[in-house]
Amino acid sequence: MNKNTKSLWQSPWGYSESFLLTLGLLLIGFALEFTVGNASFGTIVFPYNLIAGGVYIFLIALVYFLIRKKTVFKFLSGIPASIGAISGLSILVVIMGIIPQIPLEEKGIVTSLGFNRLTTSIPFLFINFYLLFILGMVVIRKLFPVKWKNWGFICSHLGLWITVFSAGLGSGDLQRLRMDLNENQIEGRAYDDKGNYLDLPLAIKLNDFKIEEFHPKLAIVDNTTGSLYEATKPSMIMIEDDLICQLHDWTIIVDEFFVTSGRIGDRYYSIIDFGAAPAAKVSVISQKKDTVTGWISCGSFNRPHESLKIDERFSVLMTVPEPKRFSSEVSIFTPDGQKQEQTLEVNKSFTVNGWKIYQLSYDETMGIYSTKSVVEVVKDPWQIFVYIGVFMMMIGSVYMFWRGSKVKNEETLNGVSN
Amino acid sequence: MIWNHFLLAAGISASTWLLAAFIPKRELVRNGLVLIGIASIAIFIGFLWISLDRPPLRTLGETRLWYAFFLPIIGFLTYWRWRYNWMLYYSLALSLLFLFINYMHPENFSKTLMPALQSPWFVPHVVVYIFAYAFLAASSLVAIRGLYQEYKGQLQPKIMLMADNLVFLGFSFLTLGLLFGALWAKEAWGHYWTWDPKETWAFITWLGYLVYIHRRFHMPSKFKSSLWILALAFVILLICWFGVNYLPSAQFSVHTYSQAT
Repeated sequence: MNKNTKSLWQSPWGYSESFLLTLGLLLIGFALEFTVGNASFGTIVFPYNLIAGGVYIFLIALVYFLIRKKTVFKFLSGIPASIGAISGLSILVVIMGIIPQIPLEEKGIVTSLGFNRLTTSIPFLFINFYLLFILGMVVIRKLFPVKWKNWGFICSHLGLWITVFSAGLGSGDLQRLRMDLNENQIEGRAYDDKGNYLDLPLAIKLNDFKIEEFHPKLAIVDNTTGSLYEATKPSMIMIEDDLICQLHDWTIIVDEFFVTSGRIGDRYYSIIDFGAAPAAKVSVISQKKDTVTGWISCGSFNRPHESLKIDERFSVLMTVPEPKRFSSEVSIFTPDGQKQEQTLEVNKSFTVNGWKIYQLSYDETMGIYSTKSVVEVVKDPWQIFVYIGVFMMMIGSVYMFWRGSKVKNEETLNGVSN
Repeated sequence: MIWNHFLLAAGISASTWLLAAFIPKRELVRNGLVLIGIASIAIFIGFLWISLDRPPLRTLGETRLWYAFFLPIIGFLTYWRWRYNWMLYYSLALSLLFLFINYMHPENFSKTLMPALQSPWFVPHVVVYIFAYAFLAASSLVAIRGLYQEYKGQLQPKIMLMADNLVFLGFSFLTLGLLFGALWAKEAWGHYWTWDPKETWAFITWLGYLVYIHRRFHMPSKFKSSLWILALAFVILLICWFGVNYLPSAQFSVHTYSQAT
């Protein structure tokens, strides 16, 4: 209809103009990325991000006051422009979904267009600014004049705007550092991913690091290559007391199993000792009913590992156990002289002085004997704004569920297929 | 002790729900039976919580219990609001499936989840995704039917209304699932969003349905383009669901659970 009577760029604009605008933006973005590269801009930090954000909001308001009476405002706050911007973002995200987002050594078209680090590329930056601009126009159009019936729309759209805006601007202020805690020592410094140490407004003393492990697993390896034999699934089976299981072509019987043990003479005994490792006595029965019996152990940092040769080609071995749960009992000291006792665990962080402390890792070579705990400390001053946006979107979603389709019934029922 | 109580609770739920399925016409009785089944799981979870002295969120079996509890609740709410009978039965059947898996594998109650999955956000994240996928899959069936009717030249506008409502409901769950995931990631790892391949594709899926919703809202009387957008969006959803593991980007994903654990 419109497209037959009006030529391109003739008012009112529609889908063609919207897609061309987006395409142009992407092309300019990629051209800049190709020529200038992203070396010219880094992440912006406080207070510059606050200033930039303020200027951006001011510009949106200014543009609104300049064009609110013009037809172009209707376009910029309308659905065709929104769909164009969303499609542009989709193109970039699809590229991101296909090409691995990892640094590449060799230079090529992928690296020079920034395909392997899209979130820090110029076209991605452009599209996000454009999307925020269009979304801003949409929100302003619905916001004035204020109507109560629009609350669901405002929640979802303004919520998205706030989320993207504050998460984007705040990313430069996000500090993510690590601390290595050793038992009975006080640590007040943390290091970043480049290894630079920083002093924190808090100190942590690790009182006790606790860890539980799963039982180790049985696996078959190739004697010549040392690689895991994976003819059938599962290729690894967790060891239990009195386990009888089928692993590939062999039947394996666990005769004895100790979670911590030590080798004395020709066998292992259950012992509790620093570095004592799991061990099991297994009988492996082949299809020809040949039985091989012997001890296997995954070893530890101070005990050797032992596997059992089944035949010329294969051996059975015990894998290093995986962690079930680990936690750190810590005392946290703050400059005001306070001391707090806490347990840090994965998924159970603790916030003090604006820093959030996460249990991250431990000395994995030491396993259950680790006396070191690695925690991550994160400061994200913009988090509250992101959460406000996220919760607005959640309210918008629940509203959407309750309200259902808002597409006009009469127009649909009178519609013709084309 | 705990096991016997589980059998009792699961037995009550299974029998009330099966009974409910046979009397779909007597709505009040049927709804009552559904609610009794839900209450029985709720009581068992409460009992488990007290006897374990911790929130039952740590093992595979415990998380399945929560699925079995939340699925029928959301299914019932959806039915109550929208009268989609199939959604109610679908959620009851899935819930029974989870109870049945726990019955078949009692050792699941002692199998610990990896620490990162032991989060209160984990269950709602998965449950709302189950609903989102169900609604969106249903909407794409409607879309295929619409495209077939269109091909035959006898497209009924009514079919669009059905697709629209399914997409709106599915999209609301999809958004919640995405946001729950982001909040969980922030609480557990300190990042809302890491552009992990699975996340990236989930986001593309979200954008696809977002385009459909806007297009429908703008041009309610044009069907063909919308139907194609809907069909395409479902293809993306399938990539997100199954296909991600086969893409070159997937080797760095935290969402691939296929490795033997």
